[in-house]
Amino acid sequence: MRDRADLVIVGGGVIGLSLAYHLARLGFSDVVVLEQGYLCFGASGRNGGGVRQQWSTEENVLLMKDAVRRYRRLSQECGYNIWFRQGGYLFLARDDASAATLEQNTKLQNRLGVPTRLISPAEARRIVPVLNLEGVRVCAYNPTDGVLFPFPVVWGMARIASDLGVEINTFTRVTNIDVRGRQIVKVVTDRGAIATRRVVNAAGAWSPQVARLAGVELPNKPYRHEILVSEPVKPFLDPLVSDLSNGTYFSQTMRGEICGGLSDPAEPSSMESGSSLRFLSRMSRSLMRLVPQLGSLKVLRQWAGYYDETPDGQPILGRVDAVDGFIQLNGFGGHGFMMAPAIGQLAAEWILRKAEHPIFSTCDLGRFARGEQRRETFSIG
Amino acid sequence: MATARRLDPLPNTPFQYGPKVDFTFEGKPFSGFAGEPLALSLLAGGVRVFGRSIKYHRPRAPMCLHAHCSSCLMRVNGRPNVRTCDTPCVAGLSVERQTGWPGAGFDLLRAIDVVYPEELRHHELFTSSSALSRMATPYVRRMSGAGELPSGPPPLAFPVERQSVRVVVIGAGPAGLSAARRLSQSGEKAVLFEADALAGGRLLDGATRIEGDGDSTGWQRWKAWSDPATLPGIELLCRMPVVAIYPGRPPTVVAVGEDRARIVQPQRVILCTGSYDQLPLFGNNDLPGVMTPRALDRMVLGHGVLPAEPVALVGDSDETLRLSARLLERGVALAGVVTRRRDGPLVGALQDKKVPLVFDREVARARGGRWIHELELSPQRQREPDRLLDCALCVAEAPAAPAFELGHHAGCRVFFGSQGGYRIAIDDTGRTSRDDIFAAGHCAGAADVTTAIRAGERAAATCLESLAHTP
Amino acid sequence: MPKTIVCRCEDVTEEDLKRAFERGFRDLESLRRFTGFGTGFCQGKSCLCHAARFLAAVKGGDDMVSDPPRTRPPLRPTPFAAFAGALPEADAGAEEKP
Repeated sequence: MRDRADLVIVGGGVIGLSLAYHLARLGFSDVVVLEQGYLCFGASGRNGGGVRQQWSTEENVLLMKDAVRRYRRLSQECGYNIWFRQGGYLFLARDDASAATLEQNTKLQNRLGVPTRLISPAEARRIVPVLNLEGVRVCAYNPTDGVLFPFPVVWGMARIASDLGVEINTFTRVTNIDVRGRQIVKVVTDRGAIATRRVVNAAGAWSPQVARLAGVELPNKPYRHEILVSEPVKPFLDPLVSDLSNGTYFSQTMRGEICGGLSDPAEPSSMESGSSLRFLSRMSRSLMRLVPQLGSLKVLRQWAGYYDETPDGQPILGRVDAVDGFIQLNGFGGHGFMMAPAIGQLAAEWILRKAEHPIFSTCDLGRFARGEQRRETFSIG
Repeated sequence: MATARRLDPLPNTPFQYGPKVDFTFEGKPFSGFAGEPLALSLLAGGVRVFGRSIKYHRPRAPMCLHAHCSSCLMRVNGRPNVRTCDTPCVAGLSVERQTGWPGAGFDLLRAIDVVYPEELRHHELFTSSSALSRMATPYVRRMSGAGELPSGPPPLAFPVERQSVRVVVIGAGPAGLSAARRLSQSGEKAVLFEADALAGGRLLDGATRIEGDGDSTGWQRWKAWSDPATLPGIELLCRMPVVAIYPGRPPTVVAVGEDRARIVQPQRVILCTGSYDQLPLFGNNDLPGVMTPRALDRMVLGHGVLPAEPVALVGDSDETLRLSARLLERGVALAGVVTRRRDGPLVGALQDKKVPLVFDREVARARGGRWIHELELSPQRQREPDRLLDCALCVAEAPAAPAFELGHHAGCRVFFGSQGGYRIAIDDTGRTSRDDIFAAGHCAGAADVTTAIRAGERAAATCLESLAHTP
Repeated sequence: MPKTIVCRCEDVTEEDLKRAFERGFRDLESLRRFTGFGTGFCQGKSCLCHAARFLAAVKGGDDMVSDPPRTRPPLRPTPFAAFAGALPEADAGAEEKP
């Protein structure tokens, strides 16, 4: 392991690796990535691979437009096929409030060039004939959203970054971040120390723990999010379907499995990563309501990952006031994976001072003290 | 190649079945005996290839016959991916193969296996051009997946019975039955869950022998032990696999049957989940006609179904040698026995019967197109020539892998031992790292049925003792 | 050379394990994700021990694979309908009623 580096990235998930990948492609590779487990150990290896542009803020819609563009060419760039399939995202609204949200979002998305359409349940059934849409008032469908296979994204970015000179250390745990005065000087791991003046905290659910090592308190909280896959069957479902009434989402993977999860308002913040019967049961009920035939489809396995949630549903990006050289790239909730290629590029340009982007000043940690929180209202799915 | 036949039924096998019944296989009339595993009705009727593998479209046919593997899946009554070895044959079933193009028997996509003799790097397919990748995606998508969505009327949620009981025993094999007997003798009430259609586990194997206190065969012990009347206080539920134990105190045990589920939160759990039979690693070890010894045991000795002969047997254990002898007794032609065991009464008995024994060779590969027709044996010493052994069925033995998963998910410590695999860690008395969960038998590394029986009794005794200390 | 199949569900060969190891997938979880063994219909019942034994052999000892991959319920493929009623009505929330 190197004993010094210009920049150390804590977290070898998709956010950290996307940053390393984009930095390296911009010619900056004096970078060490530290990952506590194997690649894909955290949320990057446990998510459903959904990529959507249907968001409620201009910032996020534009960011995701860019991410989709990048994901479309990532397989060719990195030599691993990420099987990004743009089968669309179909949101279902059952009440007035959700219907109004979809309507408002669709207007914004259309203005920004995303071809989302508000459609009737009858039209939605033409897209997914097996859906039971009883009680659904209106749907929003964007055919250019999609799903991908998360693992090769992680492996591919890691492969190119390391080919270009970035050092990626797996099974390496950060035990301390040495700060002298206000300046970071060293990252200590269970495999040795690395002298550095810049550290990026891209540790996802572990970000608050990592920040604390440098004496910084983050407001992020980890929440368990559970997910499952079914046995594989022949294709019958093109888009990812998401029911806004309870946060259910499911799509069909390239292998033919139904992969999905749902939100649980009763889930407390914790680092619990086990699977629960409660989730399995709620998900089964919800799926059977949406596609009754799925009742006799078999569940293959369930597992859990983390959402790294911030108080306003927006990530924490950029500098912190108290410690120089400590850069945050965390708090992406359940959406880090879809945003990663765009965020990695922006952050790389920002770190290398090649370009400024307002997101690093509006989404910094200081916004909470300044009272400038802006809530993203569409964090489901 | 000999055609499939059924042996004359034996009166003393645990597997008794009903009258001949008719069903359809790919639209054509077919028959089997009511209650026998559907996979055996199909094999007895001459079906060889059950399906095709996902990537290389290699032919698949039953390998384990104990509902562990994925090699006998078919579409049954409109449901995809049904294990035919775990589905009883009943009148009126509609059975279809679901993989391969145009079909599983003759599959043009087998070409993939030939085009990629080394490896198909599925992670790197179509990465040269994004246009190509986007064009190929719908085709790749259509090729993946096994079978179509379930058809027919959508099911209702299974009724769930919640039960309050102090002890749950999981698995009614040698260890589980022995544990349940011990609990019953002490007046304890327990539920005994079994995945198979019959209790017994390895006691159902014709080749099983139990040593000590009056040697007996597995079937004799099964007869003595599986009668519910000998287990007062124990509720035995067959065809009711436990699919998960969720950790927590008490643990939540979820068992799911054909059309109902049961959830129990017991004070104590005794894991007797057994093990999964494995095949050794050799070339084309997935060829139809290559099976585990216990699969053949159940199919031929238990059910009297012989898809083809002669049979080659590969292995060193007493069970495999006894299986060879029992097959001979049943009039099954043996191609030979490949073993490193050179002496002892079991080997001597085979020699007396003029069974070809091959001592100093290992299996290099199986050969055949859609079904095995010979084994290529390589010498252990160089300079000796390879040798071919003609056969129409082959059983090959490998250490069974303990079924550690339920215990592992419940939070019990497991460890790896290269003989077999991961197993649940227990002390001499059957305690796991959780003070309310005990384990016994093959899931905790027991090497044979005799040991498993003793371990089951001991774990139950420890469990009873711990209950006595609980208010 | 004929293929030696380690995982019948996903068609993973012994050679695939070797090549994945050479490419840097050197722990069970990574090997499993890269080759796909243990992710099919049987969920590892006929391949995990082979893969673990392979890794123990190349890494030089059983203690190199002391932890199995995380166990993910259910133990065998089980219909959604089996779990739909697994929670008491009050816990499940009326909105998910099938």
